[in-house]
Amino acid sequence: MRSGHFIESYDKLVNLTDNPVKMAWSWILVLVLALAPLVLDSFWTSICATVLITAIGIIGLNLLVGTTGQISLGHSGFLAVGAYATAILTMDYQVPGIIAILLSGFIAAFFGLIVGIPSLRLKGLYLAITTMAFAIIINHVILNAEDITRGSEGFIIDPLQVFGFSFESDASIYYLSLIILVLTVLGALNLMRSHIGRAWVGIRDHDIAAKVMGINLTTYKLLAFMVSAFFAGIAGSILAFQLQYINVDNFSLLLGIEALSMIIVGGLGSISGSIVGVIFIIFLNELVRITTGIFADDGGTMSLYIHEMKGLLYGVVIVLFLRFEPDGIMGKWRDIKNYWSNWPFHH
Amino acid sequence: MEYFLALTTSGIAVGVLYGMLGMAYAVIYKSTGVVNFAQGEVMMLTAYTAYAIASLWDVGFWTLLISVTIIAIFVGLFIEFVFIRPMLGQEVFSIVMVTIGLAVAIRAIVVMIWDADPIPFPSGLPGDTVSVLGVGMYKSQVYSIIVFLALVFIMWVFLRFSRIGIAMRATANLQTTALLMGINVKRVFAIAWGLSAMISAVAGIFIASVQDLMPDMWFNGLKAFPAVIVGGLDSVFGAALGGIIIGLVENYAEGYIGFNLKEIAGFIVILIVLMIRPYGLFGKEEIERV
Repeated sequence: MRSGHFIESYDKLVNLTDNPVKMAWSWILVLVLALAPLVLDSFWTSICATVLITAIGIIGLNLLVGTTGQISLGHSGFLAVGAYATAILTMDYQVPGIIAILLSGFIAAFFGLIVGIPSLRLKGLYLAITTMAFAIIINHVILNAEDITRGSEGFIIDPLQVFGFSFESDASIYYLSLIILVLTVLGALNLMRSHIGRAWVGIRDHDIAAKVMGINLTTYKLLAFMVSAFFAGIAGSILAFQLQYINVDNFSLLLGIEALSMIIVGGLGSISGSIVGVIFIIFLNELVRITTGIFADDGGTMSLYIHEMKGLLYGVVIVLFLRFEPDGIMGKWRDIKNYWSNWPFHH
Repeated sequence: MEYFLALTTSGIAVGVLYGMLGMAYAVIYKSTGVVNFAQGEVMMLTAYTAYAIASLWDVGFWTLLISVTIIAIFVGLFIEFVFIRPMLGQEVFSIVMVTIGLAVAIRAIVVMIWDADPIPFPSGLPGDTVSVLGVGMYKSQVYSIIVFLALVFIMWVFLRFSRIGIAMRATANLQTTALLMGINVKRVFAIAWGLSAMISAVAGIFIASVQDLMPDMWFNGLKAFPAVIVGGLDSVFGAALGGIIIGLVENYAEGYIGFNLKEIAGFIVILIVLMIRPYGLFGKEEIERV
């Protein structure tokens, strides 16, 4: 009788997934996602594209917060850096789109390196406040460096062109973000199973103990910041191509908090958790919008407060999840799985 | 010279407000080890409450100040009891995230009740100016400096001599030992939250009478972060002094450099301070045993 889930060999431990069924389902999911735009209308395709783009950034954030244990309240800053880098590179310097996406990732990673340096000396709350300061400074620079960033006017971006094909329709952006998300997931999973991911988990659990074990804190903390910022930058870059108009308002502090609420809802330190969290929060948002839309017919007072309703919702979701389900949806899923796979000897 | 004096006086006038908010942060951090990210929102909520009271009854400034601080104590106790106490024993990160959730929620509630338009605050303070060192200052600014000094003095007496204040310092020093010595640590936590809400209510009333009531008032809470970081999160008087330092730096940066630097000068300062002294200027360094 099965009495638990055991890993018996080193090969199994470093496998991408130790369960072939899970692997098969994951590829079926990707296939379903690839076919989805054929049945969805343009509105839902664009929402699904937003989910995919957000998931890229959130996986990056989860690598930093969930896996390495370094709290960042300033990820909206990296997203802004990625988006504006893309805008400036493609519009002012005529860099081809695909190269601009990659470059935006590296530019954001460079900023990640700079923000990461204080993390070598700061811990916990001091670090959280420093990252928040970074996001505030970035927003201020964008607003005031009008020659480069167009200031409060915002930036209009042409659609992405690759070999003459223009990514204008919602479906094309959807496929672009799906491909990049699959690459991101594969990359993140590979990082997690390599010595880098293990070092990160060690730093999260106890950084001094990790140092004693021979993990170079400087290298791995900075690497975590860079990788995380890289993914956020890529997400920002695709976001810029999706919206085709970016403004500093797209990258408010609330966005950084929304991002944290996503990883808390999904589950800290889990890649599938990041994706589940993104889906949960974005569809909750849409639900609020649709329900307020229904009630808005009788005078329109509800729709006036849509932004506030969203804020209230994030607040309530964060508080409730931390209070009742601190491991997030993925934690609950693990519990249920444990219960059944070990039945009747679950504990 | 006159320009410098003008910048200095207005810097101090802003700085005392940051100092008050900074003290509110430090009181909670010192005894519970949690940074309350909803401090600015508590301040905003009490300021709007003050507006509601002032528009219902015709009360003078001091009555308003006292009644609002009493309401604020209950707001603080309520938040502690309903949201923070159930989280006891959880990681600091979780508790801090709860306060962030609260912050976002309070912001939304305030806008839903009072709308997003700015409201002039009927503080009952005289609007005319007085001359201090040859520089004109609003009387409300002078009052805020006086109240700030009084608050610092009261906090000093309270933490130094009162029974509860000593219990708070003992808890801050070492929670477990304090518990073993018979201190009711839960009550100390509750008092810390009440006290901090009270201080931020005082700050809120003065901020509202200087800036009007606006839904982005909470941002003052974030701008007070540099104050409390410069002073060290666990030093109440460091935070008070840090507030004045940040107020001055903001004004000098704006006055001599420009670029709207006022908004971010404080954050640049903390980046530099934290690189040099990771626990703030007056904070206590944590020595960790493995």
